[in-house]
Amino acid sequence: MRFLGSLAIWRRDMLVLRRSILSELVAVVAYPLTIYLAFGIGMKGYIGLVEGVPYSMFIAPGLITMTAVNAAYSESVWSLWFHRRVQFTIESYRVTPVSVSEIVVAKILSGFTHGLVKGVTVALVIFAITPFRFEPVNLLAYMAFLLPGSALFSCAGIICGTIMDKPETIGKVEAVFIMPLIFMSGLFFPLSSYPAPIVPWIKAFPTTALFEGARQALTSGGFPVGSALQVTVTALLTFVAAVLIFRWKMAE
Amino acid sequence: MTTALRTHLLTKNYGQLTALDSFDLEVDQGAIFGLLGPNGAGKTTLIRILTTLMRQSSGEAFIQGLDTRVNGREIRALIGVVSQENSLDRYLTARENLELHARLHGMQANLYRRRIDELLELMGLAGRQKDFPDSFSGGMQRRLVVTRALVHEPRVLFLDEPTTGLDPQARRAVWDYVRSIAGSMTIFLTTHYLEEAEQLCDRIAIMDHGRLIAQGTTQELKERLSGGTVYEIEFDDEIERYAVLLKGMACVLDMSVSGRMIHVGLESWECLSEVVSALHGAPVRRISLRERTLEDVFISLTGAGVRE
Repeated sequence: MRFLGSLAIWRRDMLVLRRSILSELVAVVAYPLTIYLAFGIGMKGYIGLVEGVPYSMFIAPGLITMTAVNAAYSESVWSLWFHRRVQFTIESYRVTPVSVSEIVVAKILSGFTHGLVKGVTVALVIFAITPFRFEPVNLLAYMAFLLPGSALFSCAGIICGTIMDKPETIGKVEAVFIMPLIFMSGLFFPLSSYPAPIVPWIKAFPTTALFEGARQALTSGGFPVGSALQVTVTALLTFVAAVLIFRWKMAE
Repeated sequence: MTTALRTHLLTKNYGQLTALDSFDLEVDQGAIFGLLGPNGAGKTTLIRILTTLMRQSSGEAFIQGLDTRVNGREIRALIGVVSQENSLDRYLTARENLELHARLHGMQANLYRRRIDELLELMGLAGRQKDFPDSFSGGMQRRLVVTRALVHEPRVLFLDEPTTGLDPQARRAVWDYVRSIAGSMTIFLTTHYLEEAEQLCDRIAIMDHGRLIAQGTTQELKERLSGGTVYEIEFDDEIERYAVLLKGMACVLDMSVSGRMIHVGLESWECLSEVVSALHGAPVRRISLRERTLEDVFISLTGAGVRE
């Protein structure tokens, strides 16, 4: 597979992102910031310490990770749907020497970059308004979760944007699958809050491995290898599925 | 003359529906070839197979000698496609749309910049190159789509209903551009506008229900219809009487009455004197020759019923 086509499409997406960066960032910061202010500050007097840390500190890493993966998913799903169903640009890419796989890779890269840029922005805002800090060296371990995590959500976005023809269906999938997967993965409360029989099932979710592992990596510098592998393998499998599904849909 | 495009027994089935049925076609290098057919005739299916967007169920299709089933990437490097939808990127300027297309074709920046400058000038879009397509008129958007298809200097250009939805002025402007690039590449055009095919195409094929039903130059196709000679005779009175008289004449191939006018299709122009003699003393106000149009040919081959 050549990557020139992927690079050209990714450059296009980055040019469009650059043009609308301010409005994009304002929109993307507003949501996690509202959650942070409502739960982290508004509720901290009622919640106290969670696993030994103040509640606002407990949710901060999860909010950064959530922003990144959510942005990766949203960019991939809406971009693919819009280019396929509204603008027909996917069709215009497909009559050039670019392969279907190159288009998928480009869209995954774009989703991933969106996630990274927006995650970093939310992190900077959280650092600016809270005492949440971490050792810079912890970023390395954190990236081992954020990179495959964003790729995983980006691939999931590609799959949804490929098979769903109506925009309202995309919204429903987000409400029924994506948000519950994120919220139930220990982002706002520790897994120990679940009844014991359910915990193994919750831990089986790749999102749990992602959010728990990312929090551990960022706050304590720990690196749970099993969780990192679980996220990476799921991301690879979802990538293969995204390419196959996109190919199948295009061949219809 | 070498062949730019060839299909052999090309067939495409969608479940029980046969969209293309053993379709055979050859288009010469450098020709402007028109494909006509009613809605659902299979034109778009054929173009999608030829442009490698879709695989055939059976049969073969070759572009510049390359098999569509195994040489997709090579074929796509040689073709330009103007699809029915504009498919312009509304978040990129006109020039950025063209640059993206050039990069997708792997062109070097120094080459594509010069080429894009030339094309924008040729298509009259140079002054609007930094504007976004949404601010363009329908005609300008169409010109931009044609420009984009030409950036990489294709050997075969597919135009799928390139002027649908355009006003007559914009349509004629697109025709002028197509004529200006004719000869430098093979052009394969589908259209609903028969006048467009008549104006632009060297050869025309008519298809229906997935099959090729006629092929030739405009003139050859017109001559397929009753010698190609139709006269309109306007009467002042007694039209029924003369309609019966004309219908009984051996040299009259077909006849229809509308108001005070009788349309008669003659075997050849030599029959006219026989008709004039038969009408001696009749209240004839006017006799005029009506050329067969491509539309007459199209309707006679595909029927007058409206297709879903």
